[in-house]
Amino acid sequence: MRLRKHPYRVPRVLAVTVIGALLAAGCGGGGDGEDGRVTIRFDYWGSTERAQATNDAIALFEQANPAITVESSFSDFGGYFQKLATQIAGGSAPDVLQMDYSYVREYGDRGVLAQLDSGEAQVQTSGLSRQLLTGGSVGDKLFAIPIAQNTQMFSYDAAQWKQAGATTPADTWTWDDLRAAAQAVTDGTGAKVHGLNDFGGVLDWFEVWLRQQGKQLYTEDGRLGYTAADVTAWWQMSDSWRRTGAVTPAETTTKIDGTQENDPVAQKLSSATFGYDSGFTPKLWEQYGRELTAASFPTGTGKRGQYAKPAMMLSVAQRSQHKQAAAKLVDFLIHDTGAGTALGMSRGLPADEQVRKLVGATLQGPPQAAYEYEQKVIAGLDAAPPPPPKGAGEAKVAFQRVYDDVIFERATIEASAAKFISEAERAIAS
Amino acid sequence: MTQQTLARPAAASEPPTDPGHRRRRHRYGERPGLAYLFLSPWIAGALVLTIGPMLASLYLSFTDYDLFTSPQWVGLANYRRLFDDDPRFLTSVGVTLRYVLISTPLKLIAALGVAILLNRVTRGSAFYRSAFYAPSLLGASAAIAIVWRLIFDNQGIVDKGLSAVGIHTGGWVASPRYALLVIVALAVWQFGAPMVIFLAGLKQIPQELYDASAVDGASPWRTFRSVTLPMLSPVVFFNLVLEMIHAFQSFTGAFVVSGGRGGPSDTTLFYTLYLYDNAFSNFRMGYASAMAWVLLLVIAVVTAALFGTSRRWVYYAGEDAR
Repeated sequence: MRLRKHPYRVPRVLAVTVIGALLAAGCGGGGDGEDGRVTIRFDYWGSTERAQATNDAIALFEQANPAITVESSFSDFGGYFQKLATQIAGGSAPDVLQMDYSYVREYGDRGVLAQLDSGEAQVQTSGLSRQLLTGGSVGDKLFAIPIAQNTQMFSYDAAQWKQAGATTPADTWTWDDLRAAAQAVTDGTGAKVHGLNDFGGVLDWFEVWLRQQGKQLYTEDGRLGYTAADVTAWWQMSDSWRRTGAVTPAETTTKIDGTQENDPVAQKLSSATFGYDSGFTPKLWEQYGRELTAASFPTGTGKRGQYAKPAMMLSVAQRSQHKQAAAKLVDFLIHDTGAGTALGMSRGLPADEQVRKLVGATLQGPPQAAYEYEQKVIAGLDAAPPPPPKGAGEAKVAFQRVYDDVIFERATIEASAAKFISEAERAIAS
Repeated sequence: MTQQTLARPAAASEPPTDPGHRRRRHRYGERPGLAYLFLSPWIAGALVLTIGPMLASLYLSFTDYDLFTSPQWVGLANYRRLFDDDPRFLTSVGVTLRYVLISTPLKLIAALGVAILLNRVTRGSAFYRSAFYAPSLLGASAAIAIVWRLIFDNQGIVDKGLSAVGIHTGGWVASPRYALLVIVALAVWQFGAPMVIFLAGLKQIPQELYDASAVDGASPWRTFRSVTLPMLSPVVFFNLVLEMIHAFQSFTGAFVVSGGRGGPSDTTLFYTLYLYDNAFSNFRMGYASAMAWVLLLVIAVVTAALFGTSRRWVYYAGEDAR
């Protein structure tokens, strides 16, 4: 038997069509139902605890607005912003997104966020203090609304400190007091536990120290408000504490990344840390296996240097198809008392005054401690500086990375400080 | 049946009127439509997922692109900045070269060693083969990298074990001296793929060569050097090229073990990690695209160089011996 000439001949046209169809299938998009129901997406960063609280608040919102469905997802801070950038570039940004103070300008300046003080996505801002709102404004436009505020806080294991004979913080304590106390804890435990997490690599704590000396991290026109000499002085201080063991050793310090599981305090390698009061989450005592006490930062100049920071903000994406629904959700999460109760202190102290009072009365455990701390220091807090320039996030990461060179003794402090300044300038210039 | 089967070769070599070359074209070349139909999923994938993005990134590498606003043409500025004005880029090149030069040979040696052992195992060889291959299947996953991090971390198994015999390292992951070695170890542990290929190569070596060398009284080492290695050299070459390219592109291990930061002190700042950081953390997609193309060129050059040396040491059976 001979084969026919072209038994399975397929026209070229068909082949091209199939390829084309496959290509097109990859580019399709979804749409919404036509019955007036809309689905909006809300992405944020945080822990599972925060997610549970957020889901409760979203459920309340959906009850009150049956025509709107909210899909939400969360991840950790670093992953969140990496994903967000890609999503926005790909045109699939969430409608409502959680925004951080250090990224407001990055996104606001680039036209990615919808204006919230006028237009389709307008959200009312009564009950929010002026100082907080500046944290979400770029120029005279409001791009992000703080849902909560927090402030810098020192926290320590009071029981361990007393046992080691360390003097616990008073209202007017100094950096020298802190050093003596931390050293006492280290010595008292035979260096099994260090007095304090090495704080030298965290730009946020450096900022407080700078402000105590009347300087600021970024000038009004978005340049560095300090020089290599300031960085050198700061690192000389922390480095000398490290050499005597008052703060954690390099191998421990290098792993600090802001998450609770990598906090040396949680691993019982250290007895105190600088942080934000919003870090006092409801289950913290159980997770850390110890109770912590809050105190304000030490100072040496009479200035506290701490400020009311717009901890978490909410924004609406400029390209959202459902700006009104998105604005509704933002409004609800910030102002609604039911939502406020569900969220509690999961994002920090509620920004809305009414909600704050209501929530304050119901708290217990770590959030209550944070609330009391905040009430105590609130009168002495400065207003938040305007959002830092683009590249501030990168500079913050560089600060810790270059500090690694100091603690592993791979470079001198002066050389490292100069290296950091050049990297930071490069980061915020481009 | 039988007749038909027998008849087939005759039919195939049949009509003398049909010139041979036309016939071949007829048989393999004249149904392009069908070929393309079957190839279409692959072609679509290659166009959409590989070639398209590659061309886009080539274009972006000449622009300033922050992901949100449209790209601005900047010519060669990104490439110039890489070499003139970015110390971290050079750091990442150094780390990556060190990683390639350490991990590739170690992995190949491990693969060849185990393959030779397995080649002698007669009972349960399938089991051992799978057992040694398993890490390659698992190893690329982020989960294993996390486990790896825990094993070598402070208070991890390795640290505790060493502490028990009086060596205190404080964990390798957080040490600038050992962090890279942790990632090298993770790579070497995944020697399964080259091992399987080596094993196949070993089975191809004719037994009579071994018999001959045994008759000549060659020692095992001599046999390995004069019979196994030359006969296996094409496979060695293949594995070398493949593993080297893999090593240049390595990302997951470094990303997970260093927590995405390339630390401590930039000692695990792989090229790909820095590229990723620029693209997705620092909004410099154009710059990152330039890095990607530099990496592609470097890999191409190194691969070409390996091919250049291959003439001197790779022996293909059937060639005239020297």
